[in-house]
Amino acid sequence: MIEVRGLTKEYADLKRGTFRALRGISFDAREGEVFALLGPNGAGKTTALRILSTILSPTSGAVRVNGFDVVASPAEVRRQIGFVSVNTAVYDRMTAWEMVEFFGRLHDLAAETLRERMEALFDSLQMNDFRDVLGAKLSTGMKQKVSIARALVHDPPALIFDEATSGLDVLAARSLIDIIRGIGASGKCVVFSSHVMREVERVSDRVAIMHKGAILAEGSTRELIDRYGQPDLEELFFDLISRQDRGPDRERGAGEAGNNASQEVA
Amino acid sequence: MIRLGAVRLIYVRELRDQLRDRRTLFTLVALPLALYPLLGFGLLQMTQFLRERPTKILLAGVEQFEGDPTSPLELLDDQGRLRAEFASEREAGLLEIHSDFGSASVQSDAAEPGETEPSAAETSASELRDELARRWIAEGQFDAVVWFPPGFSERLTEYRRKLVERADQPRGTQQPQASPEEGESVPEDATLAPPEPQLYVDTASDRSRIAWSRIELILSRWREAWVQRSFEEVNLPSDVARPFELQTTDVAREQTKKAHLWAKILPFVALIWALTGAFYPAIDLCAGEKERGTLETLLSSPAERSEIVGGKMLAIATFSMATAILNLASMGITGAVAMRHMGNLAAQAGASVPLGPPPLATVLWLIVGLLPISLLFSALSLAIASFARSSKEGQYYLMPLLLVALPLILVPMLPSAELDLGTSLIPIAGMMLWMKALMEGDWYDAVRFAVPVFGITAIGVLLAAQWAVRQFSDESVLFRESERFSLRLWLAHLMRDRGDLPTFSQAMLCGILILVVRFFATFAATMPTSFGEFAIVQTVSLVAFFAAPAALMAVMLARKPLAALKLNVPHWASIPLAVLLAMFIHPAGLLVANFIRQLYPLSPDMLASLEQIDSAITGAPNFFVLLLVFAALPAICEELAFRGFIQTGLECSGRKWLAILASAVFFGAAHGILQQSLSACVLGVVIGYVAYQTKSLFPAIAFHLTYNSMTMIVGVQGAWLLARVPALRFVLRPVVSEYGGTSIEYGEIYTLVATLIGVGILYCFRQYTREESLLTEVRQRYLPKTLLPAVDGSE
Repeated sequence: MIEVRGLTKEYADLKRGTFRALRGISFDAREGEVFALLGPNGAGKTTALRILSTILSPTSGAVRVNGFDVVASPAEVRRQIGFVSVNTAVYDRMTAWEMVEFFGRLHDLAAETLRERMEALFDSLQMNDFRDVLGAKLSTGMKQKVSIARALVHDPPALIFDEATSGLDVLAARSLIDIIRGIGASGKCVVFSSHVMREVERVSDRVAIMHKGAILAEGSTRELIDRYGQPDLEELFFDLISRQDRGPDRERGAGEAGNNASQEVA
Repeated sequence: MIRLGAVRLIYVRELRDQLRDRRTLFTLVALPLALYPLLGFGLLQMTQFLRERPTKILLAGVEQFEGDPTSPLELLDDQGRLRAEFASEREAGLLEIHSDFGSASVQSDAAEPGETEPSAAETSASELRDELARRWIAEGQFDAVVWFPPGFSERLTEYRRKLVERADQPRGTQQPQASPEEGESVPEDATLAPPEPQLYVDTASDRSRIAWSRIELILSRWREAWVQRSFEEVNLPSDVARPFELQTTDVAREQTKKAHLWAKILPFVALIWALTGAFYPAIDLCAGEKERGTLETLLSSPAERSEIVGGKMLAIATFSMATAILNLASMGITGAVAMRHMGNLAAQAGASVPLGPPPLATVLWLIVGLLPISLLFSALSLAIASFARSSKEGQYYLMPLLLVALPLILVPMLPSAELDLGTSLIPIAGMMLWMKALMEGDWYDAVRFAVPVFGITAIGVLLAAQWAVRQFSDESVLFRESERFSLRLWLAHLMRDRGDLPTFSQAMLCGILILVVRFFATFAATMPTSFGEFAIVQTVSLVAFFAAPAALMAVMLARKPLAALKLNVPHWASIPLAVLLAMFIHPAGLLVANFIRQLYPLSPDMLASLEQIDSAITGAPNFFVLLLVFAALPAICEELAFRGFIQTGLECSGRKWLAILASAVFFGAAHGILQQSLSACVLGVVIGYVAYQTKSLFPAIAFHLTYNSMTMIVGVQGAWLLARVPALRFVLRPVVSEYGGTSIEYGEIYTLVATLIGVGILYCFRQYTREESLLTEVRQRYLPKTLLPAVDGSE
């Protein structure tokens, strides 16, 4: 469904000169799977997901979503995805219903189809209580639900969630995680980024641990724990990050885990 | 392909969004609707305080006239007020006349009648009078002082007596008049000089100026009374002084007169509000969305960037128009009510008010012109506002737009500004003049210039919209992060990250630097009077203001200075081709230059300056020196700057025509005189194309050198050549210049043939386009690594 090959992204930076936000990362996310990108702040997760959703363009590498290239066919890619990010806010001066309807109509949905989908979404996400409330008056959790409904309204085969639980309280975060699991279980491809281990463990089928623009390890949570002999994902995460920070020479000793990273970071 | 449905959706959303914002509604709707009635009410209230106040005038030196009925004292009645013969009741009430202020102490001994040379005592008395009058006015004791010199009455009587004697003399016995060759006219008889009372006023004070105009009117009436008496003494009717009466008939219809006044006011108000009305929605729909985090939401939707820009632009234009129309409506209604009220008051007083309510048709025509202007302002505001990260920053960025637009809005309000082909091609100003013409009922001009006015505005809208789309496609603009400016960091960045070639911004900086230096140098330099001086000024300015900055910046900012100045070895054939191109394109170039001169005629001052340069040119020791100074030197120095450093840097944006056009604009602007700038700009596009295609400066220099040489040959040696080489009559012909004198021009047929050949040669330059695009080449070979993402984005 989503194929990422040798993706790099560089920025011009006054202080640091050329800054490499992504250093040739590669991964696949399949249908019916929740794929998580786990990493600390500044790891490059948001940059990667922004490229997947065609908001940013890659410096090099290839990204395909359901067979469409993000550079060659960006409009088509946007029809294949729903993108929810901590940065994709809701409009303050639109009601929840108007906002979802607006994006549904931008996707050229027929009026009847749109209405049916919206009714279904508002029921399933329990949004009917605030469907006519202006965005400015919604709570953070409600806003996030509106964003999810907005991303799902055109029934895309792939969903991208970038730090979607950021800023939510425990209950709202738990509710969102459940929604994401439900979306994955419905057969859609979900790419999910977070720096919260517990969330990733709960929701993801496979995980890629990112640091400084590179993927340090990739696999299912169980596989990774077994491979590195760590008790849980959190310990594994700290171990990989600290190895990377110590330098590439020592990192090589980590074996195959650093393949993706060591090729690009060196 | 733009989906109109998506544009409409975004437009409606933005419109609804803005209409739900109380701040926007207040600024754009409530404020204008309330503003004019409140202003009108406030002004009416204030007028009660703005009564005309009496001014204090001192008639100094009148003590000498006690008992003299024909002295200035005859102006006043027994109570010291102006007599009805010289002032109306109202005028008398506004002039507080003082005639007893102890000024007699500074009167010198009365001069003998007829004595014109002031004595030493008189001179010192005169200085004392000046000093006293200055002090009285400065201290506010009087607003104006009229000082009658000693012996005024006697001199007046004597003057009148001599005039009467002269009138009685038979013709032919009068003293001869001074001949005009002897200089300025002098009195026929020195003893006939009239007495001169001195009027002291302070033109820096409004009160004093008002007093001046009031007392001048009274004194002129007194003078007229004297004229009348003089005529009566020689038994002539007073009508002799007025051999005919001028009767003026105003043929303007009342409606047209009102329209004329409103035509000056309303377009200005409409455009100012259209601009203001575009500002705030543009900031909110760009910077505001960035701040609120909704821009990324929209960017991740299937809407294309062009559709987003289209929808937002239309929404901004709607608010721009609505703001202008609401202001016009509010102003019109307030104006109509106020005028009716003032008209009633004036009618009671037997007067009339020149300004009536605005005719409805004028307002309708205004709206026709407002639509394209609102679109232009909206596209520009949107493109500029997209830079801003916050609403506050957006306000800073939009200020330059206001500063550029204001003069273009104000210039058409000048009385001398008229709609013609030249002014119709000036964006904004042309539309203002077109609206004014329509409102004044000048249909002929309005129809004649509708195409250029709307054409240039449409081009402006398209360019601005395209710019806005680019801005919305440029992630370095949309996701720009706040960076604290540090000179140290910036200098370190310049050295650390400098690439083999200059960057786009460095090229822009070089262009702006050259223009700024050139601007100040223009005022610093004096007009040379000889060829030697001219050659020195020309050489110094070309080397110091063009070549040196470009060369210095190339050395400092690029790792490969030679490549930065485009000093690459070209294909061998490109140089002779460039020479041929210049020779054949030269007639078309002169045609364009002449057309521009007809469109925007040179002012007399400019013509005088150019004539001075022409006369300096004639002093050249020989023609080759002339070619060196006027052809070779500019070709090398200007090309190093404009096609060298500037165009090379601009090419790094990956946009061929942007680089060529922008460097041509800098090249044109550096020429100083508008008419020269426009034709140089057109020529700059051709040279820029040659430089771009050949990737080298040498063909550009060859072209420029040949073109300038052709101008010198035709302009300076044309007549000489035509006289000696008869075959040249097929090419050149003498023409009587509109500014006088004979000049040499190309014949029409030769111009046509040469232009066609020139276009053919220009087409030949296409072969120099390399297989790989310049962008690829630049990326692989030269571009600093820091710019790679930006280039990707633009691709």
